[in-house]
Amino acid sequence: MKKKALIVTIILGLALIASVGYLFVGCSYMVGSSPQETTSATVPMSETEDPDEDAVSDTSAYGPENVSLQTRDGSEIVAGKPTPSVVWHAASKVESESAPEKPRIATDRAPVPGDKPVVGGLFEEKSGYDRAVKYDWKGKLAPGLSMIRQPSVPSQPVTAGEELGRKAFGSRPVPAELIHVSADEIWVIARSEAQAVPARAGEEAPGCGAMLAKLPTEDKEIPLPLKHTDVKGQISGYIATVDVTQKFHNPYDEKIEAVYAFPLPQNAAINEFIMTIGERRIRGIIREREEAEEIYQQARRQGHVASLLTQERPNIFTQKVANIEPGKAIDVNIKYFNTLAYVDGWYEFVFPMVVGPRFNPPGTTDGVGAVARGKAGISGQKTEVQYLKPGERSGHDISLAVDIDAGVAIERVVCSSHVITNSSATPEKRSVKLSGLDSIPNKDFVLRYKVAGETIKSALVTHRDKRGGFFTLMLYPPENLSHLKRAPMEMIFVLDCSGSMSGKPIAKAKQAITRALRKLQPNDTFQVIRFSNNASQFGPDPVPATRDNIRNAIRYVENLHGSGGTMMIEGIKAALDFAHDPKRFRMVSFMTDGYIGNEVEILAAVHERLGASRIFSFGVGTSVNRYLLDRMAKLGKGAVAYIGLEDNAAEVVDLFYERISHPALTDVAVDWGDLEVTDVFPSRIPDLFVGRPVILTGRFNGQGSTAVRITGSIGDLTQEIAIPVDLDPSSPACRTATHPGIACVWARKRIETLANQATYDADPDLSGQIKQVALEYGLMSAYTAFVAVDSSRKTAGDHGVTVAVPVPMPEGVRYDTTVQN
Amino acid sequence: MSKIAVILLTSASVMVPVLAQQSAQEHPDSDPQVRFAPLHVYIDPGSRPLAAFQFELKTTAGQIEIVGVEGGEHKAFKEAPYYDPAALAQNRIIIAAFNTGSELPKKRTRIATIHLQIIGDIEPEYELKLTVAADSDGEEIPAEISYEEGE
Repeated sequence: MKKKALIVTIILGLALIASVGYLFVGCSYMVGSSPQETTSATVPMSETEDPDEDAVSDTSAYGPENVSLQTRDGSEIVAGKPTPSVVWHAASKVESESAPEKPRIATDRAPVPGDKPVVGGLFEEKSGYDRAVKYDWKGKLAPGLSMIRQPSVPSQPVTAGEELGRKAFGSRPVPAELIHVSADEIWVIARSEAQAVPARAGEEAPGCGAMLAKLPTEDKEIPLPLKHTDVKGQISGYIATVDVTQKFHNPYDEKIEAVYAFPLPQNAAINEFIMTIGERRIRGIIREREEAEEIYQQARRQGHVASLLTQERPNIFTQKVANIEPGKAIDVNIKYFNTLAYVDGWYEFVFPMVVGPRFNPPGTTDGVGAVARGKAGISGQKTEVQYLKPGERSGHDISLAVDIDAGVAIERVVCSSHVITNSSATPEKRSVKLSGLDSIPNKDFVLRYKVAGETIKSALVTHRDKRGGFFTLMLYPPENLSHLKRAPMEMIFVLDCSGSMSGKPIAKAKQAITRALRKLQPNDTFQVIRFSNNASQFGPDPVPATRDNIRNAIRYVENLHGSGGTMMIEGIKAALDFAHDPKRFRMVSFMTDGYIGNEVEILAAVHERLGASRIFSFGVGTSVNRYLLDRMAKLGKGAVAYIGLEDNAAEVVDLFYERISHPALTDVAVDWGDLEVTDVFPSRIPDLFVGRPVILTGRFNGQGSTAVRITGSIGDLTQEIAIPVDLDPSSPACRTATHPGIACVWARKRIETLANQATYDADPDLSGQIKQVALEYGLMSAYTAFVAVDSSRKTAGDHGVTVAVPVPMPEGVRYDTTVQN
Repeated sequence: MSKIAVILLTSASVMVPVLAQQSAQEHPDSDPQVRFAPLHVYIDPGSRPLAAFQFELKTTAGQIEIVGVEGGEHKAFKEAPYYDPAALAQNRIIIAAFNTGSELPKKRTRIATIHLQIIGDIEPEYELKLTVAADSDGEEIPAEISYEEGE
């Protein structure tokens, strides 16, 4: 009896404790998650900044353009000055909310038991002959771009120390060395070219004003939290300074947290982040990522308006804005520097507008998932992008303006992707604006302009501040390379036959390979490899480029089609894991859209297996994964080309063959003379091909005059280039150009180099080094983040509901085969 | 009966911490150890036009994290001033700004607001040092710097 009573008592006791515990937890949960009452508006509904045109408002010592104020006692105040053409005071007017009733929020949530299994996004591929393989897609697409051919201007010999011409424009001179200087050592063979077709007169303007999207369970159309993105770029020489303002607002009747995944150029050095609430502008602070995330979460939970910018990939970022009250607007301003690519007289400015859906191989969890709107959490990936269904449009549109100050006459301006207007005050300057008729952010904005003059020379650009001296040195190959013929080649063509390539993209890629096969020379050998879920190839080994072999290969290529997953690693292995013919120069050409989520694995494989091969990546589509393709080309010591869906692939291939039809200057070495030079990137100087400039970025100590000497080999011959340098700013002979963005460009390069090293080097200290550089220079990285908190006011209620900003599918990409639903 | 009481107490002592921990993990919102508050920084240029300044803020007690830098009240210094990322440490920040316009403050004015995360129960104490203040000719002026803690 006693035992029985004891057991009953224990059971009752436990039940009581469990009940109390449940109530406690349950109540807390309800408090934490229930919608709160809307609060009265203490934040102004609109911002009417009225910038004083005479007054140059504050900047600083640590800003992009520094000035010094000398005080009476000799101490120095250093403060930056604002970039002249950049409008900082982005007015964020909230349209009057006349509708008395506001829509409810479609809450993002993770799947719960009972949810239907993932159906959308499954596709099937016939692998081999009869084996059906199913893959779960987490992203993919196929673009539709166009392309620009690059008129071939022969490279000129480097004339040591020559200056291209320094010209002053208005109050701001453009140093001659910033003219005709390429930005990156990635060799870009070709880019999309076709001009966007202007809308017909009277045609309804897509994207003008707030196009509306339906939220789930809503029968009314309402705008989403991201209303508008404004982009203002200023190009000086080869460096672009870009201000991006994202205008968030809350159209709901509950407080929200907005989450937006968006792209930026992979080489963007982001060094400014400002949150604007009404007329108040709060500069964000760079922190270690975990610390910034923790600060943001605490501020969010406590009801403070806060924003957080994190990097998911070098070209994919996530913006979070917490505690946006109903009807209120919050702007986030991001500023970055990036260097422009240059080939044969053409500069290219790219602003990506949408993240393309990525394929994540089975087992991956740190990829980038592509899911349908409102389906947060179903991809199982660390980062997710939500996509609008076909026919849906969000209220998000984009405006973009770029001011070019080339320093020499601009001969042509071409926008390969969008409708633009452009005007010029002088032959050297051009103002370009995105047409209001083309404001849907669903493809990369690609602007190219050709500058006058055919003579391109090596040039040095420097910057000094309290951290020391920084430089970029552009190297052009000597002209005499173009008179020599190339050695026999072993050409390996690798074609992405996955689902996202189906249709136009694979047709373009096949067109390119066919053309390339026809251009092979009798001494060459070749191989064709296809991959999707697995890889297979034309023959067991590379075969001689005989007429019969080429004909058979073309037939083989014609029969390939796109379906299945993007197991690019299989293509890499098949292309690089076989014995190299020492008598031939092996070139591996990848034709792909690059829509994968495991970039690190691919890049590590390239580095590990490269050997004597050179990789040439061809990006096919309108919003390709430029980060992957560029990095593959860079690690593979080759080049990259972009083929739009409306482009003539044969012309791009012709350019490619033109580039490789001459030998490269190899074993390039630099003697820095009297300069103390450290931390040069890339540490190993790539081969110099005709038409391909190479940029070295580093740090230096020293002043005065010296000569930098570059030597290299062409077969048994040695070539030398001498560049006189004068670094004494007080010297009248000093012609070395300066740019305040060079320090950030160098730091970004160092971060990029360390991150690339981390793909194949297990050194645990690498992340610490990246963090240190990023914090010291105030730059965004995978290990740092910007956070801004308005501590002066708490919004009422809890943190509200999280609402992701869904984005349109990139143009030309199929929603049904790429997005999980 | 005493056995029952012991068992009940033992059960409770095991269950309550578990549940409390679970609750804390799910809802760490109300952490009383962390709060956010602004610190307003003022400069009195003594009737001279203030065109530029640089100051350093650090704490001598308590633990803070700087989570934002906001501009001042006068139009000339309304933009969010810059900070030196290299000098940014847990309890220290160096801030500078200038304005080349003609409309400049001549009286005591709020030139910046530092947004802070305050960690722990110790009330922070601040040390504020004006590195330099200057007029539009770049000449140093004898200004005074002070701060007020916001709520």
